[in-house]
Amino acid sequence: MATTQLSRRLAGIVLAVTVCAAAAPAAAQTAAVTQCETCHRGQADARLSTPARDFALTDVHRERGFSCVNCHGGNASEPDQIKAKAPSTGFKGKPAGQAVIAVCAQCHSDATLMRKFAPKQRIDQAAEYATSVHGQQLAKGDTRVATCASCHGAHGVRLVGDAQSPVYVRNVATTCSRCHSDPARMSGYTLPDGSPLPTDQHAKYTRSVHHAAMVKGNDLSAPTCNDCHGNHGAAPPGVGAIANVCGTCHTVFATKFALSAHSQIFDRSCVECHSNHEIAKPSDEMLGTDKAAVCVTCHGDGDNGFKAAAAMRGQIEQLKAAISHSESVVAEAENAGMAMGSQSIALREASNRLTLARTELHAFDPKPVEAVLQEGLAITAKIDAEGAAALAEMSYRRTGLAVSLAAILLVVVALRLKIRSLPYPPDR
Amino acid sequence: MELKRRTFLDSLLSVGFVSTAVAVLYPVWRYVIPPANAEPATDSIVAGKASEFAKNSGAVMKFGTKPAILVRMPDGDFRAFTAVCTHLECTVQYKPETSQIWCACHNGMYDLAGNVVSGPPPRPLDAFKVNLRGEPGQEEVVISRT
Amino acid sequence: MRPPAVTQQVLAWLDERLDLSGLRAFIAEKSVPRHRHSVWYYMGGITLFLVGVQVATGILLLLYYRPSAAEAYESVQFIVSQVEFGWLIRNLHSWSANLLILMAFVHLFSTFFLRAYRKPRELTWVTGVLLLFIMMGFGFSGYLLPWNELAFFATKVGTGIAGAVPVAGDFMVRFLRGGDEVTGATLTRFYGIHVAILPAITTVLLGVHLLLIQRQGMSVPPSIEKRAKAGEKIREEPFFPNYVLHDVMWWYVALAVLAALALFLPWELGKKADAFAPVPAGIRPEWYFLAMFQTLKLIPSHVFGLEGEMLGVMGFNIAAVLLLLVPFIDRRPADSGQSRVLTAAGILAVTYLVVFTIYGYYAA
Repeated sequence: MATTQLSRRLAGIVLAVTVCAAAAPAAAQTAAVTQCETCHRGQADARLSTPARDFALTDVHRERGFSCVNCHGGNASEPDQIKAKAPSTGFKGKPAGQAVIAVCAQCHSDATLMRKFAPKQRIDQAAEYATSVHGQQLAKGDTRVATCASCHGAHGVRLVGDAQSPVYVRNVATTCSRCHSDPARMSGYTLPDGSPLPTDQHAKYTRSVHHAAMVKGNDLSAPTCNDCHGNHGAAPPGVGAIANVCGTCHTVFATKFALSAHSQIFDRSCVECHSNHEIAKPSDEMLGTDKAAVCVTCHGDGDNGFKAAAAMRGQIEQLKAAISHSESVVAEAENAGMAMGSQSIALREASNRLTLARTELHAFDPKPVEAVLQEGLAITAKIDAEGAAALAEMSYRRTGLAVSLAAILLVVVALRLKIRSLPYPPDR
Repeated sequence: MELKRRTFLDSLLSVGFVSTAVAVLYPVWRYVIPPANAEPATDSIVAGKASEFAKNSGAVMKFGTKPAILVRMPDGDFRAFTAVCTHLECTVQYKPETSQIWCACHNGMYDLAGNVVSGPPPRPLDAFKVNLRGEPGQEEVVISRT
Repeated sequence: MRPPAVTQQVLAWLDERLDLSGLRAFIAEKSVPRHRHSVWYYMGGITLFLVGVQVATGILLLLYYRPSAAEAYESVQFIVSQVEFGWLIRNLHSWSANLLILMAFVHLFSTFFLRAYRKPRELTWVTGVLLLFIMMGFGFSGYLLPWNELAFFATKVGTGIAGAVPVAGDFMVRFLRGGDEVTGATLTRFYGIHVAILPAITTVLLGVHLLLIQRQGMSVPPSIEKRAKAGEKIREEPFFPNYVLHDVMWWYVALAVLAALALFLPWELGKKADAFAPVPAGIRPEWYFLAMFQTLKLIPSHVFGLEGEMLGVMGFNIAAVLLLLVPFIDRRPADSGQSRVLTAAGILAVTYLVVFTIYGYYAA
C-alpha cells in the first residue's frame, strides 16, 4: 500500500516536472515525439492525423522545444487517451475564436519569454489585432474572420522569412485572397457606405505594377496587402491617410501632392487617379486634356485646371521630342564613327529631367514643371550642338579627302602626259 | 620649247608624287602615334589625378556606356560605384552634407558601401574597384570593373 | 630620263656586292607588247596594288584591333573615333577589300577571254585562280572581325552553308566556327586565318604567280597573234620606263577611286553583335557571295530525293574545279584560233554572276 502511494506520488512529481519542463524548455532543442503525436498520427480521420503529421515535418515551435501540450494542454507522455486529456492536465482541446488569440498571446505577448527565443520580435501583435477589422469583428462574436492560425498556420508554422510560409512576403497576397476573393465567404460584409465588400482586389492586384515589381522584378520591398493595410492591425487606410500610406515609399510625390489644391479636395488622394489595387504603370497619356486623360473626368474646357493640364502635358511632350531628336543626332554621329561618349551620358541627364518633370507635375502647377523642362532643353540643345559639330567634322574630313583626290588626279593627268611625251619607238 | 615642256612636266610630276606621298605618309604617321586615351574604355578608365579630387567629394564620369561615380571619402580613400540608380536609372550624385550618395529623382539614398539607406531603390549600387597607380604624390586613380 | 646622281651611286654600291648587272640588263631589255587589247595587262597590276594597300592598312589596323568578342567592336569603335585618321585607315581597308575582289574578277575574266592561260602559262592561271579563292577567303574572314550584327549573322549563315557538303560538312562547320556555334572562338580563329594563314599562303602563291609572269612575259591574245602571222609587226614598248609609268598611273587611278569611295560612302560601325538577338531582316553576305547565295535560295529544298543545298554547294565546288582546270580543258593548240564553246561558257558565267548579284541585292 505504501509503495503504491509512493509510486503515485512519484508519478505525480514526475508529471509536474514534465509539465513544467514542457512549458518552457531551458534551451532550444527539438521537442521529443510525444504520445499525442504517436496516437494521433495513426488515426484514420484526417482531421486528427493531419495536424500531428504537419507538426512533425517543419514547425518553428517544435524546433525550439515546444510540443502539443504547450498550446493544447494535456499529458504528453501519457499513452492512454482519457488520462492524457484529463482536466487536471489543463487540456484545452482545439481553441476557437478568441481562444486562439489567447493561446498564441500566452507566449507571443510575453516579453520575458520571447527574449529567450527571438529578442527582436515584437510582442504587441495581439494588441494590434484587437484594433483590426478582424479583431473587432471577432470581439462581436463573428468567428468567420481570420485569426492567428488562419494566416500563420497552427501546425507546421514557418518563420515569416521562410519562402514557404503563407506569410512570406511573396505569399501574403495569396493568403489574404483565400478569404477575400471568396464571394461565398465574404457575403454579408459591406463597405462603410453599405455596398457589398468587393472580392476582386487580388485579381486587380495581380495586374498591378507593384505585383509585377515583386514577381518579375524580384523586388521584395514592393508592396503587398500588409504594406498598405497593416499586418495584425489590418484595416483599410482611412480617408486622409491614403497619401501618407503611399507616401511611405513614394515620398517625393506625396510631398509635391501635399502642396497642391488636390490634396484638399480629393477624398482618396492618390487613389483618385492611380486606383488602389489595380495600380497600373503611369503613362504620360494620363495627363492632359484628351479623352484618355484622367484630368478631364473633373476639369472642363476653360477652367484653370484644364489649362494647367494642357500646359504640363505640352511641356512633357516638348521635352520628350527634344530628347528623341538628340538621340537620333547622337546615333547618326556614332554610327558614322564619331566618339559620342559624353553626349550619351548627357542624354541620360536629359532623360533624368523627364523623370523629374513627371514628379513635379504632382503639385499640379506648370511653373515647377517649366523649370525642369528648361533644364532638360538646355541639355538637349548642348547635345545637338555637339552632334552638329561632330557631323561638321565629318564634312571637314570629306573636304580633306577631296583635296587629296584632286592631288591624285593631278598626278594621273601628269603621268598620262609624261607617257605621251616619251619617245616612241624607244631610242635605243 | 620641247625641253622646257619636258622639265615642266617632270617638275609637275615630282610635285605630284611628293604631295601624294605626303598625303599618304602624314595620316599614317599620325595614326601610329598613340591617342590621348590609350585604349578603349570598356573595362577600366583613368579617372584623373588623385590630387584633383577633394576629400568628401564625388564626381560622375563616363565608364563604358554608363556613368560611374567616384567618391573620395572624408578619410581620403576612394570608392567607385555605378552612377545608375537601381530604381529608375537616374544618375546619382554625392551629397557631402550627409556623406551619402543621393538620387535626385525620387530621393533614393545610398551609403558609402552602395547599400540603400532610404527611398525607392530596390537594390544596392554595384561597386567597382579603385586602384591608385604611379609615383607617390602623382598617382592616378584607375577605376576597373573587376 | 636620266636617274639622279645619288641613285647611280647607290646602285653602283649594291652592284659591287650583289651583281645586279643581270637584273639590270633584263629590265633594260624587257619589253611589253602594245596593241588594242594591251589595256587589260594593267588589271593584274591594279589588283597587286590593292593587295599592297590591304597589307599596309591591315598592319596599321593590327596595332589597335583586339580579336576577342568582348573587345573587337569596341576596338574598331576606338580606331574610328579616337585614333587620328583611324576612320581613314579603316574605310580604306574596307573599300579596298571590295575593290580588290572586283579587280580580281576583272583580271580573271580578261585573262580568260584573251586566252592568256594557254601553254606555257597554265600554272600562272592555276595560281591565279587559287589566289582569287584566297582573296574571297580574306573577305569572308575579315568581314567578321568588326563583330557587328550584320557580320555575325552573315558568318552564321555562311559557315552553316559549309555544312551542306556531304560527309565532311559537319566537320567543316566545326572547323570553321571553332565550335558548334559562332562565338568568340570563331572570331579568334578567323583572325588567325585572316592575318597569318592566308597571308602566308598568298605570299607563296603570289610569288610564284609574279615570277612566272616575269619569266614568261605578257601573253599576246590570239587575234593579235593571227595578225602577226599575217606579217603585221606587233609593237613593243619598253618595260622601263613606259610600261612601269603606265602601271603606276593605273595605280593612282585605283587610289583615286578608293579615295572617292571613302569620301562618298564611309563605312558604318553597325551595332555590336548579340548572339541571342533575333536575326535582323534581310541578312545577306557581301556582294561577291551574293550570286551564290541567291542561287542557293532558289534551289528547292529537295531535288530528286537529294538535299537541294547540298546540290548547290557541290555544284559550286565543281564549277571551281572546272575553273582551275580551264587551261587543260581548252584542247585547241596554242596557235589555232579560239574555242567557241569556251567563249560562250565564259559569257554565260559573267552574265550569270552579274545578273544574280544584282538579283540578290534587290531580293530583300
